Amino acid sequence: MRSFTPEWAQAARAAVDAGPTRDGKLPSYWNWIDRARAGYTAVWALGVRESGVYLVLTWKDGTCAAAELTSDPSAADYVLVASQATWDELRAGADPGRVVMYRQLRLERGDVLTFFRVIYFFIESLATLSRLET
Amino acid sequence: MTSLSDVADSDLRGIRDLDIDDVLAYVHRDLKRLPGYTELYKRYLRQRWDVYELDFSQDVVDWRERMTQEERDAFVGISAGFHHGERQVEVELPVFMLGGSEESKIYMSSQIEDEARHTVFFDRFYREVVGMPGDSVQDVLDASFEHVSETFVGPFGLLAYQADELRKDPEDPAARVRYGTTYFLWIEGVLALSVMKITLTYCRERGFLPGYYTGFTATCRDEARHVQFGMRFLRDSVQEDPRLLLQIHETLRTILAINGAASRRLALESLGWTPEEVRRLMIRQLHMKLTDVGIAIPPDIQDMVARIEPELAGG
Repeated sequence: MRSFTPEWAQAARAAVDAGPTRDGKLPSYWNWIDRARAGYTAVWALGVRESGVYLVLTWKDGTCAAAELTSDPSAADYVLVASQATWDELRAGADPGRVVMYRQLRLERGDVLTFFRVIYFFIESLATLSRLET
Repeated sequence: MTSLSDVADSDLRGIRDLDIDDVLAYVHRDLKRLPGYTELYKRYLRQRWDVYELDFSQDVVDWRERMTQEERDAFVGISAGFHHGERQVEVELPVFMLGGSEESKIYMSSQIEDEARHTVFFDRFYREVVGMPGDSVQDVLDASFEHVSETFVGPFGLLAYQADELRKDPEDPAARVRYGTTYFLWIEGVLALSVMKITLTYCRERGFLPGYYTGFTATCRDEARHVQFGMRFLRDSVQEDPRLLLQIHETLRTILAINGAASRRLALESLGWTPEEVRRLMIRQLHMKLTDVGIAIPPDIQDMVARIEPELAGG
């Protein structure tokens, strides 16, 4: 399965909706993630800079309800873009928190403060979809 | 008790004898008066220190032979945040310097140099004392990232994204105040001063790591200028346009919302701190800034402050 294909997009939706494997981290951390996710409604568009392709994930009431690929992310609340090299690094196991902190995934559109209110939920979702076998 | 003029005037050799509590008192002494940007720049010229004069030879002995594994783990766990943090603010500050008055820009050039020097301080400590490998500054940063907790990833990530936002219009008052709240109020005023208090109290009480103590105490004195600049910037911004107070509030709501998410526990008890003591320390640091500068917060944020988790200690 190649990344940023329709098949991969559906696998990514299912994986982030199922959530990450809960091992090796404190229960209080997962409680924070659960609170952040509960009732969460927003649309994320995650793009590849070179190809201009975006994975659009639609969250509705805490469920990842839909996923699609598009070249027009204008309907998304948050548009984030990384280079192909960064996506490759994530697939190779790079820490998604580091990718965020080093601004390798840029928020090109969307309110910074509201985006960051669920930042660890986002980071765990990014980790989950990055670990899909491709 | 050292006089605060001793704190202001000590050279690097004298700083080693200062008590961290006196340096923290020095940080807060001028918060009600808030010196002007030119005065802070002049102070920088007097207080600048040479990071390559620090001697870590005794630190190496303490680290290897006198500290326990639990103490080393806790120490690395808490200080790694600022190994990356100093680098992060050095990189993210230039965009803030693009806006504001000429006096602000001149002062800001000194703070950028401070942050670069602090980055070198941690690079030397992690390379020479902790023994992390790497040929470059980035190599050592990469080696220590696994120890950086969410306590730092969240706020430093937020600052990076706010810097991107500010880059679009460096004179945007609202974006500058949001950025300034994250940087000067939370990262400098709460996180940095809390980490300094915890690690430096440990070093002083145990008589360990004199090179780290000297360098990080000098860093704390630099923070006095940074915090005073930042609090003056926020106070003046709100006085000029009271609507900007809402930007401080919204930023605090975000920062306090992400507080408490820690994925692993640090045994800070081994450094002499309980989670409750860390919690009280963080709340006190935040209250002192808000009260002294006269930044009022609404009840919902007061409740969030009261619920601050001692996340430095792992929740």
